Amino acid sequence: MAFARIMRLMRRELDGWRLAGLGWAAVLLLPFLFIFSAWFAEPNEQWLQIRAYLLKDYVAGTVRLTVLTGLLTALLGVSLAWLVAAHDFPLRRFFRWALLLPLAIPPYIAAYTYSNMLSYTGVVQKTLRGLGIEVSQKWLAFGSMRGALFSFVFFLYPYVYLIARTFMERQCASWVENARLLGARPLTVFFRVALPMARPAVAGGVALVVYEVLGDYGVTSYFGVRTLTTGIFQTWFGMYDVESAMRLASWLMAAVVGLFFLERWLRRGRRYGVSGRSRPIALTRLRGIAAALAFAFCFLVFALGFLIPVLQLIAWAFLSFEDVWKPRFWRWTLNTVAVAMVAAFAVTAISLVVANVCRRRTALNQLLARWVTAGYAMPGAVIAIGILAVFIELDRLLAPFYAAAGWGERPLLLSTSVAMLVLGYVIRFTATGYNSVEAGYEGIGSRFTESARLLGHGRTRTFFRVEMPLLRGSIAVGFLLTFVEICKELPLALLLRPFNFETLATQTYRYAKDEQIILAALPSLLVIAVSLLSVAVLHAAERRMER
Amino acid sequence: MSFVEIRDLTFAYDRRQPPVIERFSLSVEKGEVLGILGPSGSGKSTLLRLIAGLEVPAAGAIDIAGKRVVDDRTFVPPEKRGVGMVFQDYALFPHLTVEQNVGFGLHRLPRKERRERVREALELVRMAGFEKRYPHELSGGQQQRAALARALAPNPDVLLMDEPFSNLDADLRVSIRDELAAILRQAGMTCLFVTHDREDVEAVCDRHIVMDAGKQRK
Repeated sequence: MAFARIMRLMRRELDGWRLAGLGWAAVLLLPFLFIFSAWFAEPNEQWLQIRAYLLKDYVAGTVRLTVLTGLLTALLGVSLAWLVAAHDFPLRRFFRWALLLPLAIPPYIAAYTYSNMLSYTGVVQKTLRGLGIEVSQKWLAFGSMRGALFSFVFFLYPYVYLIARTFMERQCASWVENARLLGARPLTVFFRVALPMARPAVAGGVALVVYEVLGDYGVTSYFGVRTLTTGIFQTWFGMYDVESAMRLASWLMAAVVGLFFLERWLRRGRRYGVSGRSRPIALTRLRGIAAALAFAFCFLVFALGFLIPVLQLIAWAFLSFEDVWKPRFWRWTLNTVAVAMVAAFAVTAISLVVANVCRRRTALNQLLARWVTAGYAMPGAVIAIGILAVFIELDRLLAPFYAAAGWGERPLLLSTSVAMLVLGYVIRFTATGYNSVEAGYEGIGSRFTESARLLGHGRTRTFFRVEMPLLRGSIAVGFLLTFVEICKELPLALLLRPFNFETLATQTYRYAKDEQIILAALPSLLVIAVSLLSVAVLHAAERRMER
Repeated sequence: MSFVEIRDLTFAYDRRQPPVIERFSLSVEKGEVLGILGPSGSGKSTLLRLIAGLEVPAAGAIDIAGKRVVDDRTFVPPEKRGVGMVFQDYALFPHLTVEQNVGFGLHRLPRKERRERVREALELVRMAGFEKRYPHELSGGQQQRAALARALAPNPDVLLMDEPFSNLDADLRVSIRDELAAILRQAGMTCLFVTHDREDVEAVCDRHIVMDAGKQRK
């Protein structure tokens, strides 16, 4: 009897959609299995060296950087969120969204822009010298840890700011007002009510920042900070030692998995929320010096995080326009757009399949959805090394076929193709597309699907005739956000691109690395312009929710 | 010879919770309009979802028009059961016109026949002239009738109606009730009609049962 029932379940559940979803989940497993397989191989000599002399530095650098960045972004993001969510001061409405703009500037672009502005020949020192002021180099040195921290904190804080502000604006009103009525002073309200309540939201935002930092290569390598990610790059590019790179990657992966569970644990059972319609907090009007200080603080962050670097880049772009605006610039743009389009398309398709399969919230479905989107937390370098290992192995397995087809003895066909890069992007950014599609499915509910089924349409026809048209908006948003993320991405592109294949991001990085900062301005501005799209989408989505 | 036969049906949304439907049996004659009354949470909507194939029972069997649609080893998916359903919120596809909504279940017919069926169905519910409207351009009562036309158009073996009047105001409810009774008679439709309003049952149904805690109350 039980057997018959299991067969019935299989026949009913295992249709093309689910098989496709499960198949993709299995493909995703491969790179990570390969990385873990490194543990079982005999360590080579280089690994022993790395372990003896470098590993401690890598781990210490990673920990120091992530902890400090996490703390500082939390501080900056939360204080701005509280200021904007609960207070009224000049230009508050402008800052409310303008403080999101730094998100459009990838930290690596910020890093070389600032470090050049502050260098001996940069605009800051030149101006100061022009005014006859000599400043010690020590004060302006924008290197190493200090520079990296600045680049992360001022360009990643919007993750925390956005989540915390949204939470405070929507959820905190009645508690905050009650606390005020009970006579609590402003600071007490913040520390005793708003902050503890927003803690789960803040933890979510900080987690996003930390994943970014762990995955970063652009900033850390520019400033020469030793982290696990830069270590992976060094062993792979410097020593061509995939095995040791995989070992490092497995360390990094362990760290990320640990963090992932830490975040869940921190948020366990702490989802404060009010049911029903929420309303915004009554704003406290700031006056006099307080208002001026609030304005100055917001303006300073906005200027440092957006205005100054963008103005500087525009100035450099004018200087270097002739040298950069050439056919090859179009080739980089075309490369970027083409790869990003293909990958974003794949992400959208995968998201639709998995979200459709996972509409019923069973434990197994939840696991599938989590697994397919887990790439957002994985550092690009880890994904890249995993994919590389898989593709090299594939080429090895396929070598007889290549030979039979007359393509030479052992050509590296797959492992030098752009397919690797696309796959990397897809694994890394599926979450971006998935979240949007999933929200869309939640929005339309299951009634329309059930109606269509009862009117004689199978799952696939129902999808194309009913769900697709209704999900149009969510699909477009998911596609766009994914596209933008891919255009900004650096580490995956550097590790997985085929020889001589440059994207805007890799070319920007190359110019910056070669001390041709001014030439990097134009591609940087293009990347920033594309990124502004996603900030605009975020802003529009929020506006719609408020209505 | 009963037309819809349900035997020992048991269903739970969650294995850790008591079943919503427990060893439930029922038979309905062809052309009969059966009212299912009961308080909310008594399992009456779930019963319809089980007949439609939107949920899978833990045990028991259902036959529709002499065909086994579900038991321990069989599961006929909803699109192959020949069951029509009118939902509480109608679920008219917002991106399609009334005409396209009603024609949605007729995709296997050639175009000409399809147009003919749509016209008939709309006339039956007195909605001729609204073909090109979108659902959001209709009043509540009109939406309700369009949903009924959509469910009737493919000529299902059984029509399931889940609280079809709950979104209508009281006046409309009375007039639509009589209309529905007439339409169902005219179409000779076998119908299971879930409601919590005794007056609905008296106006529309041939006979009724009362459900309570997943069982039929005697």
